[in-house]
Amino acid sequence: MTSLASPLLQQPVFSEPSTVSSLQVQGLTKRFQGTTAPVFRNVCFNIYKGQSVALIGANGAGKSTLLRCCVRLIEPDEGNILLSGETLSSKRGRELKRARNRVGFVFQKHCLVPRLSALTNVLHGNLAHRSGPRNWSQCWARQADRDRALHYLDLVGLADLWHKRCDQLSGGQAQRVAIARALMQEPSILFADEPTASLDPKSGQVIMELFARLSRAQNLTLFFVSHHVDHALHYADRIIGLRDSELQLDAASGTENTVSLRGFYA
Amino acid sequence: MPEAQLSNDGKAPFPPRFQRPGWLSTALFALFLGFFLWSLAGAGMSIRELVNGLPNIATIAGEMFPPSTDRAGPIMAAILVTFQMALVGTVIGVILSIPMALLAGRNTSPHPLVRHVARSIISFLRTVPDLAWALFFVVSVGLGPFAGTLTIIVDTIGFCGRFFAEAMEEVDPGPSEALDSIGTSPLDRIAVVQIPGALPSMINTSLFSLEKAVRSSVVLGLVGAGGIGAELAASMEMFRYDQAAYIILMIFILVYAVEHLSSRLRERLMHQSQ
Repeated sequence: MTSLASPLLQQPVFSEPSTVSSLQVQGLTKRFQGTTAPVFRNVCFNIYKGQSVALIGANGAGKSTLLRCCVRLIEPDEGNILLSGETLSSKRGRELKRARNRVGFVFQKHCLVPRLSALTNVLHGNLAHRSGPRNWSQCWARQADRDRALHYLDLVGLADLWHKRCDQLSGGQAQRVAIARALMQEPSILFADEPTASLDPKSGQVIMELFARLSRAQNLTLFFVSHHVDHALHYADRIIGLRDSELQLDAASGTENTVSLRGFYA
Repeated sequence: MPEAQLSNDGKAPFPPRFQRPGWLSTALFALFLGFFLWSLAGAGMSIRELVNGLPNIATIAGEMFPPSTDRAGPIMAAILVTFQMALVGTVIGVILSIPMALLAGRNTSPHPLVRHVARSIISFLRTVPDLAWALFFVVSVGLGPFAGTLTIIVDTIGFCGRFFAEAMEEVDPGPSEALDSIGTSPLDRIAVVQIPGALPSMINTSLFSLEKAVRSSVVLGLVGAGGIGAELAASMEMFRYDQAAYIILMIFILVYAVEHLSSRLRERLMHQSQ
């Protein structure tokens, strides 16, 4: 197996824009109870397959809420979401769960089960498709699933640490296990909510580099929230920005610069 | 607000060491003190009776030594039965506590009404004393260790059900949200997040429950629910204090051994991963 985790610090090569839509967001509005102003209103954008898109904005601009609304972990008040051309807004119960299992999610904190091993945590990505005890622990898993889980751990450069409990891993290693878990799910789109926020700059760069490489190697659509303007410019094909409850930026990353993007944090 | 005093050099003010309690705190403290003094009389506390009883205490204590081993065989058999009652009762009780806790936990229960009913049942099982359960089961299934084991099962569900549910409620919601975001079923989330997350606390509670059951099974024999308690009661009633001393010594060794083993086991289990 070849690891994509190294060498890490190379310039990413951006993919050619595809015409197949991965995620379409149409007129999305969200208000929280007890507040008059919406978190965001009438947000529209389209993410194409294989594209890497960064969402930027100041604290409280609604970035994480928007990301969660895209998979209806938070219910939007208005608007429509299409995931790979399929309308998500009208789905309920099992249909909604089935639609969600094509979306990988990496959170700011790794959200792994601390007492379980790295391999078992990666295996949990399989629960998106197959329920039951054989996916609860690597001890009882099918050999093919164990092999796949180990393969994804190898992709993030942690195959040697498969047996380590996740509470014994560093922040950067735990985040890589979380990425491996998301890949185990074999998603068509990967969401990442400030995946480097709790990491030091070097570990953050390693994680972002990993995202860029995996996204390229697996033609994976990547939609990530970041506070790092440099990450947005360096690792995204496109940048969208939330300010004053509206989507005020939607541009190719090559046309933007650090100074123009810093305005979103003023 | 209390006035700040000036320091010796008269420059920087510093806060007072104590604050004057409010009238409500003072009234509550006075009420508590009054009730406590009244309770001393209600509890029959009497220094004179204690002093009068000292010679009897000395006589009984003297008769206890040396402990008699003339019924060592039956006593050891009763000690073994006591431990077996505690072990079987605790294991079955812990197993039954898990579904009860899942129904009673805020983040695991399928419906608030189910949660309320499950919590009420657990509270009822916990608040009725084990001796009352033992009397009930002795009447229901007859004298002997089975009544004692049933008592321990019920007592364990009351104890573990509550603490298991609380342990599951305290599990970090992050991993659960992560799995929810990819569409996993509630049963999967309980199996891979809630139970492993609550496991250290559940192991602790189960081992404490075993220790508690061993101590409790000693007393249950006094009302005919099997085990060493019946032997102890018989020895005391026949004024065989030397035999009673031997039984108490065996009980001490049993309880100490269980506590020691459970703490060793707890340490080992805490550091294993899957």
